[in-house]
Amino acid sequence: MKKQSKNLELLIENLNERAKELNCLYNVEKILKNYNAELEDIFKKLIKVIPPGWQYSKICKVKINYKNLVFQSGGFKETDCFLSANIIVEKKIVGKIQVFYIDTTGLCKEDPFLPDEKKLLKTITERVGNYIYHKKLKQTVMELDTVKDVIESHKKKDWKIIIDLIKATDSSLFLRISRKMMNYLCLIGIDKARELLLSFEGEKNSKTTNSTFDLNIPSKKRDIESMTDLSDQVFIIASEYLSDEDILKNFQKWIQEDKLDFLILALESLASSLNDIQNAISRYRHLGLDKTELSLNTNININVLLIYRLFTEQLEFINIAKNYVNVKDFYYIMQHIIFPQNSHGKLGGKSAGIFLAYNILKNAKGDNDQDLNIKIPKTWCITSDTMQHFLHYNNLEEAFEQKYKSIEQIREEYGNIIQIFKNSHFPNDMINGLSLALDDFGENPIVVRSSSLLEDRVGAAFSGKYKSLFLANQGSKNERLNALMDAVAEIYASTFGPDPIEYRKERGLLDFHEEMALIIQEVVGTKVGDYFLPSYAGVAFSNNEFRWSPRIKREDGLVRMVPGLGTRSVDRLSDDYPILTAPGQPNLKVNITSDEILRYSPRQIDVINLKDNSFETIEITDLLKVSGNEYPVIEKIVSVYEENRFSSKPLFNLNFKEDDLIVTFNGLISGTPFLKKMKSVLDILQEKTNMPVDIEFASDGKDFYLLQCRAQCYSKDNIPSIIPRDIAEENIIFNAKKYVSNGKLKNISHIVYVDPDMYNSLETIEELRSIGRAVENINKVLPKKKFILMGPGRWGSRGDIKLGVNITYSGINNTAMLIEIAKKKGNYTPDLSFGTHFFQDLVESSIKYLPLYPDDKGIAFNEKFFTESENILRNLLPEFSSLEDVIKVIDIRKVTDGKILKILMNADSNEALAYLSFPTEEVQITEEIELLPSPQSENHWRWRSNMAEQIAGELDPGRFGVKGIYIFGSTKNAVAGPASDIDILIHFRGTEKQKKELLNWLEGWSLCLAEINYQKTGFKSDGLLDVHIITDDDIKKKTSYAIKIDAVTNAARPLKMKDIS
Amino acid sequence: MSRTFNAFEMAQKQFDDVAEILNLDEATKDLLRNPIREYHFSIPVKMDDGTSKVFRGFRCQHNDARGPGKGGIRFHPQETIDTVRALSMWMTWKCAVVDIPLGGSKGGVICDPHNLSEREQEQICRGWVRKIARDVGPLQDVPAPDVMTSAQHMLWMLDEYEAIRGAKYPGMITGKPVGMGGSLGRTEATGYGVIFTVREALKEMNIKPADTTAAFQGFGNVAQYAIKLYNQLGGKVVCVSSWDQADNTSYTFAKADGIDVDALLSITDRFGGIDKEKAKALGYEVLSGDKWIEQEVDILIPAALENQITKDNVDKISSKVKIIAEGANGPTTPEADAVIKERGIHMIPDFLANAGGVTCSYFEQVQCNMNYYWEKDEVFGKLDVKMTSAYLDVSKLAKEKNLYMRDAAYVISINKVAQASRDRGWI
Repeated sequence: MKKQSKNLELLIENLNERAKELNCLYNVEKILKNYNAELEDIFKKLIKVIPPGWQYSKICKVKINYKNLVFQSGGFKETDCFLSANIIVEKKIVGKIQVFYIDTTGLCKEDPFLPDEKKLLKTITERVGNYIYHKKLKQTVMELDTVKDVIESHKKKDWKIIIDLIKATDSSLFLRISRKMMNYLCLIGIDKARELLLSFEGEKNSKTTNSTFDLNIPSKKRDIESMTDLSDQVFIIASEYLSDEDILKNFQKWIQEDKLDFLILALESLASSLNDIQNAISRYRHLGLDKTELSLNTNININVLLIYRLFTEQLEFINIAKNYVNVKDFYYIMQHIIFPQNSHGKLGGKSAGIFLAYNILKNAKGDNDQDLNIKIPKTWCITSDTMQHFLHYNNLEEAFEQKYKSIEQIREEYGNIIQIFKNSHFPNDMINGLSLALDDFGENPIVVRSSSLLEDRVGAAFSGKYKSLFLANQGSKNERLNALMDAVAEIYASTFGPDPIEYRKERGLLDFHEEMALIIQEVVGTKVGDYFLPSYAGVAFSNNEFRWSPRIKREDGLVRMVPGLGTRSVDRLSDDYPILTAPGQPNLKVNITSDEILRYSPRQIDVINLKDNSFETIEITDLLKVSGNEYPVIEKIVSVYEENRFSSKPLFNLNFKEDDLIVTFNGLISGTPFLKKMKSVLDILQEKTNMPVDIEFASDGKDFYLLQCRAQCYSKDNIPSIIPRDIAEENIIFNAKKYVSNGKLKNISHIVYVDPDMYNSLETIEELRSIGRAVENINKVLPKKKFILMGPGRWGSRGDIKLGVNITYSGINNTAMLIEIAKKKGNYTPDLSFGTHFFQDLVESSIKYLPLYPDDKGIAFNEKFFTESENILRNLLPEFSSLEDVIKVIDIRKVTDGKILKILMNADSNEALAYLSFPTEEVQITEEIELLPSPQSENHWRWRSNMAEQIAGELDPGRFGVKGIYIFGSTKNAVAGPASDIDILIHFRGTEKQKKELLNWLEGWSLCLAEINYQKTGFKSDGLLDVHIITDDDIKKKTSYAIKIDAVTNAARPLKMKDIS
Repeated sequence: MSRTFNAFEMAQKQFDDVAEILNLDEATKDLLRNPIREYHFSIPVKMDDGTSKVFRGFRCQHNDARGPGKGGIRFHPQETIDTVRALSMWMTWKCAVVDIPLGGSKGGVICDPHNLSEREQEQICRGWVRKIARDVGPLQDVPAPDVMTSAQHMLWMLDEYEAIRGAKYPGMITGKPVGMGGSLGRTEATGYGVIFTVREALKEMNIKPADTTAAFQGFGNVAQYAIKLYNQLGGKVVCVSSWDQADNTSYTFAKADGIDVDALLSITDRFGGIDKEKAKALGYEVLSGDKWIEQEVDILIPAALENQITKDNVDKISSKVKIIAEGANGPTTPEADAVIKERGIHMIPDFLANAGGVTCSYFEQVQCNMNYYWEKDEVFGKLDVKMTSAYLDVSKLAKEKNLYMRDAAYVISINKVAQASRDRGWI
């Protein structure tokens, strides 16, 4: 009992002591807060507040020595019982604080001071030291400012006064200035100065040879004296050769530059970590140095160093960026970086892109000199080496070996990797950083995006290859932090996923050490009902590669926008569409008729569900019915569709429950300067960065936010092709020099040519319509994306059928290219449609469009090839053989002894060329720029073909009643892609029961193959076999797939079956 | 192969065949084979980029013996005068068959709205009216929306016309929105019209609608309202086919005890596409798109596209089918038409069956002229009267002269126009 109460007493005593100490420290802090007070006053106050912090405060007295000043508590007397700590300023001892117990009776003889009291005194002296240092710095700055003021006010007066002043207040500055003056004089060719320099250097050299490494203090002092001497001489020379004004001007510049030394040193030193740089910048900022103007060179030097350290070593980028940023622009970013200790990491391509774009746009003016007023969302960056730090901390470095494994293995292990990463621990400094970021974001939804160092490499657009994760960021701090860490871990894991690795493999970037920085961005938007979303968002491009009218120029740009999160505008969706506009031609719309507008307007919207903490896709109408009134600027986004008409209505007149609301963006496009601003943004960025750009944007209804900016890269299918000049004339099929987009078709095996003259001569509407039906059927039987459609005038014409083949999108959806031929009629050339009837479908499914003007000057059009080559229509679709005068289907390989057709298109030079070539005979120059080999190099067909043979070998014809088994389609043609199925044709003669058994047996194979394919490629499917059963009857009548057997072109190949048992 | 397809020649040929039946004299044939008046003019427009461009405009008034001309204005990049002529002639017949006191016209401008801004289109509309303001109007010739023109274009034209005339003439043009001179009931008119004719046909056959079943092709505006009215009469629709956008094919949705149109509408997109999976869940059998024609029903109503009943599938029509009502334009090819005629199936031809639309346009004009607008049921009531009497006239003539319904419809309309021209002493 006793012992316990004693313990308790001890505890209370301890606590009391801690309270005293804290109280003391608090009082000290209070005093040191005042930077304007005189040091003397500070010390006087300190000696009063220190003693109460000590255990025996009544007998505690304090003595402070500072330089030659001494301060002590009243009743002070020196005893043996004391603590002492030195005041250190700039590594020099400038004084000390001592705490004495003046009455030692009854005190512990050994050490009457508590360990915490020793710490306390140390803390106090450190604080005092810092305080003195700070005051000193402040004074220096003030003095320098005074000097500057003097310079300003004495411009035309005697500069010697200033020199004297500097000499008296800051001798080292004086020396540096004189040195600069010396260099300057030498530079402008003053002989006297050169002589002086030589003599000085000689002297210096002779002095330093003895002690190369160490200048001891006495000799340094001598040095300074002699140098001061020398300096005086420099100024004498200067006064002889320079005007007073020149001298003054130079002084001014040099003094300012001098103040930045510490910053440049920190930036230049390879050893300085991000932390050091952060400190240097904040020192620069707090010293108020940013208020003075720097000389251009110094400014650029600092910019280059900062860009280099934070963003990239890529010279192209630095070259541009250095002109648009300023040290001040780094303040924000420096305070919003999460990095490990001693970090030398960078922030990655995405951060770099947006930083540069924002700084270019910040001061730019738009149309009519209006401020563009571009914003960027609140952003935090995690440096690239944080990932290593994370891996190292969790012993996960072996993940880096992942990329050298086979894709199958990578895919198999990927799920596991994600789990391992998600279950890993975060180092403490990272947790602190993320926590700080979360405090900054509050409960606003955020998105975590990768910002790979590979991303800023030209030609390698990793868009969407690494994950971006949206977080609703709702709930307690702990929940939010856990969700954020989960997201970061997942994105880290995605570096080791099969898709990015395969992508890097294809581009030869596998060995490049991938370091991924991350950015955490506040999601732009507002709360609408239970959801959070921007009013609208999208992507915009400097170059319009999908022109829907000849009046739209390439440089008119392109915007793809959607309501809600911009995710739907980035991806191409097959069942929903973004709104397309050309900012340079906002009035030329893609969709004109109400049917077109309805069909191609966005129906769904991506949002963040704040209630369920999730990312969701919902129907726009459902959202508007419930919360339309809360949706900012909704009246600019939707039009009311009534009586076959779209009207924009003011918010007051919108009835969200009953109106038929269609997303048109009509209000935004024609009623606001949005597109003008967009055009200005694209133009300015293109002009300043010297390349076409691609930006992501979003708006909360009030402001325009820039989310991302990078060089407009070419997706796989719109790289400009170099047009070869050395193609023999007989191999050229056609060329084009108008309205050409970018792209390349390398392996066209068939041409479907609707002869314009013959089409024109058709007499009845029946005949004209049958052409459309025939093409529709040809579209079904020819190999997908391996043929092109060529025809007169306007494909898909709905009005006057004479103008072009009457057909819908589904009738052409397998073609690789749609060509409209505008042949001269008398003295006029008809207008082409530019694919308007299904324009957006062409865009979303990457079908190329090309208009041909065969009668133009300098245009080659090998009409003979089309009209005289063997026409396989009769064999392909016997029921349409009566149309063979009009429709020519040409099997190119057959009529050219194995050649195929290549079409190269280049929008930059506005040229396209189609020519015949052997598949193996690659034209040198065109292949050199082949940045992106197609994924077909993976030989997807080969294993498919092997498996098909194996299935046939295992198939017991007696058991299943099978007469023959064939393979056709992409596998047989060796063009299978990762998503292709295996087309099997079975000639069946058995009973219903056998048929059922056979299908079951094949289903088993199909599922297994689908799994194998998934392992290899990541494409999931319900089965890989596409089985077509045909009977004797089918073969006789040549119905359905039976025509594939013994077909003239692309016939099915028979497979060997198991010997009949 | 020297001659090329020409819509006008085709229309003339069609006329010639009927003129043969009617034994029309040369002068009448001459008059009716060609438009009475044709206007060709140039419309200069200042484009957005400051340049000027001249567009070619037309108006073709085929015949106005029975009343002011009526017909659409087409914006088409390769419009030809022959197309406009043919279409104006067809308008004359169409108005005559439902016995509305209007003649036939058509107009157009050679242009592609895909290459034009809204402002430029407005300038074309206003320019068109300035060129022909003296020769169109509620008492002369009444334009309407057509290919690539909409209610918006009509309002621009009306506004320009009224500015020139210095007064309000809402009846100068039709196709306007409700509240701006438009008529209620236009959405339903065509679909209802189809069923009014079917109802009369059944009455003639002494069959109660409640004892009949029908199969529809298409599930757009026309089919939806036709089904609604047919259900109200007690008829049972056993299937509809509709286009599936995602699958790029059509499906037939069948339910032996009759489809529930409201349930289907709740799972239908605005283009008439029915959600396949949801339909299955509702108990519908989903068949391939061409199955609608094979159904064992009394009535077939093709209400989707042209050329749907062809020589290839006409034989699949069940022997039970008694009536085919053409809700769509030209759903039957001539070869298939011959087979149907042969089999004696009662055909209600397109320009009679789907004349509800043009009748409602006429009503719009009537309401505009008196500046008094009817309630919806009044529109439907009058529509019923018009469609019923038009049907009965055609049917009566078919019986009397033993003509195929399609031929009878043509005969009756050409006859009416010829008679009006004679009455006026023109010929």
